[in-house]
Amino acid sequence: MPATIMPKNEPVSARRRRLSKLSPYLWILPALAVYGVFKLYPLVSGLQMSLLRWDGIEEPRYIGLRNFEKILSDPMTGAVLMNNVHYAVGTVLGKIVLSLFLAILLHQALKGRTFYRTSLFMPVVMSFVVVGVLWSWLFNPQFGLINSLLRGLGLGVLVQDWLGDAAVALNSLILVDIWKWYGFHMVIFLAGLQSIPDELYEAARIDGASVWQQFLHVTLPMLQPVMIVNVTISVMGAFNVFDIPFIMTAGGPANATNVMALHIYIRGFKFYRFGFSAALSYVLLVIVTLVAAIQLKLMTSGDNTD
Amino acid sequence: MSAARFSGQESRQQGIHWRHVLVSLFNHAILILFTIIIVYPVLWMILASFKTPGELISNIWGLPAEPALQNYADAWEKARLGRALLNSGIVSIGAVLVVVCLSSIAGYAFAKFSFRFSGIILLVFVFTMQAPVPIIPFYVLFVRLKLTDSYLGLILAIASGAIPLSIFIFQAFFRSIPNELREAAKIDGCSEFTAFLRVVMPISGPAVATVSILTFVGAWNEYFLPLLLIRSDELRPLTLTIQVFFLQFGRAEWNVIFATLSIASIPMIVIYVLLQRWFIRGLTSGSIKG
Repeated sequence: MPATIMPKNEPVSARRRRLSKLSPYLWILPALAVYGVFKLYPLVSGLQMSLLRWDGIEEPRYIGLRNFEKILSDPMTGAVLMNNVHYAVGTVLGKIVLSLFLAILLHQALKGRTFYRTSLFMPVVMSFVVVGVLWSWLFNPQFGLINSLLRGLGLGVLVQDWLGDAAVALNSLILVDIWKWYGFHMVIFLAGLQSIPDELYEAARIDGASVWQQFLHVTLPMLQPVMIVNVTISVMGAFNVFDIPFIMTAGGPANATNVMALHIYIRGFKFYRFGFSAALSYVLLVIVTLVAAIQLKLMTSGDNTD
Repeated sequence: MSAARFSGQESRQQGIHWRHVLVSLFNHAILILFTIIIVYPVLWMILASFKTPGELISNIWGLPAEPALQNYADAWEKARLGRALLNSGIVSIGAVLVVVCLSSIAGYAFAKFSFRFSGIILLVFVFTMQAPVPIIPFYVLFVRLKLTDSYLGLILAIASGAIPLSIFIFQAFFRSIPNELREAAKIDGCSEFTAFLRVVMPISGPAVATVSILTFVGAWNEYFLPLLLIRSDELRPLTLTIQVFFLQFGRAEWNVIFATLSIASIPMIVIYVLLQRWFIRGLTSGSIKG
C-alpha cells in the first residue's frame, strides 16, 4: 500500500481526493514560480531578443539571424573564446593538481588537519571584489608584494608588470583564481580520500604495488566521482568567469583578458547592442553545454562498470 | 645469534621510524607553505589598512609605525560603508529567508509525496541550474517588473539562483526522516502542512543551517547581480560599493581601500573561523554527498 495523505478510516470525498492529488504542486509552486520567472523565463525569452537589432531604447527591429552571422564572422569572438579556453586549461590544471597533491598530504598528516583545512578553505568565504582589489595591489609592479618578494629572493628576472603586460595578464588572473579555490577543491578531494577503504591499499601492498602504483591503480580510480565534481566545477567556473577580469583588468590590456561573460556585458551595457549581446549569451550557453557534455563523456568513458 | 637478529630488527624499525618522521616533516613543510600563501596576503591586507600612504610604499613588509585609524574613519565616511553593510545585511538575510522557506517546502514535497511530474521538474532543475542566464533578457525582465534598484529585486535574483541546489539539500535531508514521524503527527490531528511546520522543521536544523550558510555567503559576496540591477548609491551593497570606491579613489588612496576591504571581509572571516565545520560542510554541499 502506498502511503496515503489522508488518515485511515476517513470517508474520502472525490473533491478531497482531487485536492490531495493537486496538493504536492501547491507545495512546490512558490519555489517553482520564482525559479520559473527569474531563471527559466529569461533563458527562453532571450532567444527572441537575439533576433533583434535593439539598443534598449528605440523600437527593436527584427533582423533574423544577422546577429549570429556577425558573431561567427567577428574575429573578436574567437579571440575572446580562446581566452576562456586558456583560462580553463590554466585554472583546471592548477586547481586539480595542486589541490589533489595537498589533499594527499593532508590525508596523511594527523596533526593540525583542522588548522590546515580551515586556513586553506578561507578564501572561499571572501568576495571576488575583495580578492580582486587586494591582488591588484599585490601585483603592482613597483610597490606590490609579489615583485618585492621576487627582488628580495634574488629572482629579479621574474619581476613583471603582472596586470599591465598583455602577454602575462591572463596568467596572473588564473593565479588569483587558483589562489581563491585550491582549498575548496582540496577539501572535496580529502572527503574522497577518506572514503577509500584501507583494505584496498593493504591488498595492493600484499600484491607488491609501489606507492606510485597504489596512487595510479587505487587512489585515482577511487577518486573518480570527486574528480568529476572538481573538474566540472572548475571548467564551468572558467567559462562563466566575470568578476576577476572585470575588477582587475576590465578585459585589458588590449583585450588580453577579455572573456565571454565580459564581452557579453560590454556589448550589452557599454555599447547598448542588446540583440547582439543576447545572441552572444546563447553562443556561450551552447559552448558551455557542449564542453560540459564532452568533459563528462571523457571522464566517464574509461569507466568499467562491473 | 638471536641478539644479532633482534638488534637488526630494531635498526630496521628505527629506519622506518626515521623515514616516517622525514615524510611527515616534508608533508608539514609543504602544507605550511601553501597555508602561508593563503593566509599571509589576508593578514597583510589587514596590516596595510593601518598604514599611511607613505608606509605602503616605503615599508612594504613591516608593521606600521603607529596604527593609522584615520583610514577606517575615511573608509566609513567616504565609501559610506555603514550604509553598504546595512544593504548587504538586508539583501543577504532576505535571500536566506526566501530560499529557506521556498526550498524547504518544495524539498519536502519532492521527498515525501509522489506526484506525476516530480521527476521531470527535478531534471529541469539539474539541467538549467548551471546554465549561464543571458543577461539582456534577465535585465529587461527586471526593468519591466520594476524590480531594478530595489532590495526585493536583488533578493529574488539571488534566490532564484540558489533555489535548485537548496531544494536538493532539503530533499536529501527529509528523505532521511522516518515517515512514522509525520504519520504520528497526523494521527494527532495535524494537517500535512502543520505536521511539516511543527514536527519536521524543528528537527531540520542541519539542513536549514547548510542552506542558510550557502545562501548567505553567496549573497554577501555577490557582485554581478547588484552590478546589473542596482543603480542608486543608497542601495549599493558592500561589494559594489568597494568596486565603485576603488574606481574613484583607487589610484590615490590605497590605505583607505585596504580599510574598506578589511571591514568587508573580517566579520565574515571571523564567523567562518568560529563555525568552520558548519561553513565547510555548507559550502561544499552539492559537491560532497552527505
